Amino acid sequence: MQQETYNDLSKLVRKRSGQDIPPSKAYLMEARLAELARREGFANLDDLVRALRARPNVVFEAEVAAELASKDTQFFRERDLFDRIVDNFLPKALERSDTGNIRIWCAGGGTGQEAYSLAMLLAEAELSGATGRQIDIISTDLCNRSIEAARLGAFGHFDVQRGLSIHRLLRHFTRLESGQWQISTAMRSRVGFRRHNLLEDATGLGKFDVIVCMNTLSGMTFDARRTALANMSNQLTTEGILVAASSESLSGLVTGMQASRDFRGALGRQAGANTITIAA
Amino acid sequence: MKRCLIVDDSRVVRKVAGRIISDLQFDILEAGDGAEALKMCRENMPEAVLLDWNMPVMNGLDFLRALRREEGGQDPVVVFCSTENDAEHIGEAMRSGANEFIMKPFDADIVASKFQQAGLV
Repeated sequence: MQQETYNDLSKLVRKRSGQDIPPSKAYLMEARLAELARREGFANLDDLVRALRARPNVVFEAEVAAELASKDTQFFRERDLFDRIVDNFLPKALERSDTGNIRIWCAGGGTGQEAYSLAMLLAEAELSGATGRQIDIISTDLCNRSIEAARLGAFGHFDVQRGLSIHRLLRHFTRLESGQWQISTAMRSRVGFRRHNLLEDATGLGKFDVIVCMNTLSGMTFDARRTALANMSNQLTTEGILVAASSESLSGLVTGMQASRDFRGALGRQAGANTITIAA
Repeated sequence: MKRCLIVDDSRVVRKVAGRIISDLQFDILEAGDGAEALKMCRENMPEAVLLDWNMPVMNGLDFLRALRREEGGQDPVVVFCSTENDAEHIGEAMRSGANEFIMKPFDADIVASKFQQAGLV
């Protein structure tokens, strides 16, 4: 890949999704765009970018940016964190809720493993308590291809063996003729998948009691990280929590948010903070 | 250090798995079939067993059933590791006393994840 191709793609992905792909990770561009380039009839990324320069196409640019922003997700990547959400936070949130309804948003949820992990835990937890309550899970991603894959819920040999116990595989999945394993209709019906760009206002998605955004913000530029965090934070309920991966620090990026008292490592709204804004 | 007995008739699989599992801080023991493995377990019961299904002399399933009948044979955590990876075979392995199941082919991430699921690391 030529240097100017990297420069153009880097600029494009920063503008559209806020992702920062440093030169040392230029190989990711080739890996993530190879299929799209082939599908569109380009011999390589240099040709693809040359075509974009010659005939700018907003829709195609968005598709390129979405593919570049795609990420690997994993079942139960942070098992302790998911367990704490389901075992500790949600029962209290359900008690507090006037309607008995809880909403969870997996932001930047990729191909759905995080949302399905929560769905499986909720299904298992309901056996001992939360029956009759409505817990909605929405997973969003910038990439349409990821959303389609998530909706299908069919995962490969390697995907279902990382983080997922054999007991859960047998309980919640069926092996397809293709060799892939598809998560049950019951689990698929528990999760809604939508396309959403974290750099854009998220009012349309509604309010959430739990927002899980793992390993997404850390790949963004500083400014994009602040924008995305503010957009998500504004969709939190008063008592809601925003959870990132344990390796990601979100402190000091926005005003009106603070370390949650109810959930170690999460952010929650400061008392009286109506609107969350980017920190100066 | 904990010991893991790798039972597989393929020397290559034993070597590859041995490298991965020794990185998880296990001493490695090897057996080429179920009968040899059972003899080794009777002499010195390991903490973990990585177990192939199809082997000469005694297959993995027969070994597992025999192991679980031995004194102390309930103790080892047994992770099946096989190309027999449809739901029926996996279910049979689990009902016979396996704790986890790895579908071949595998890599280091999968072995580490499965050993974690089984409470070994």
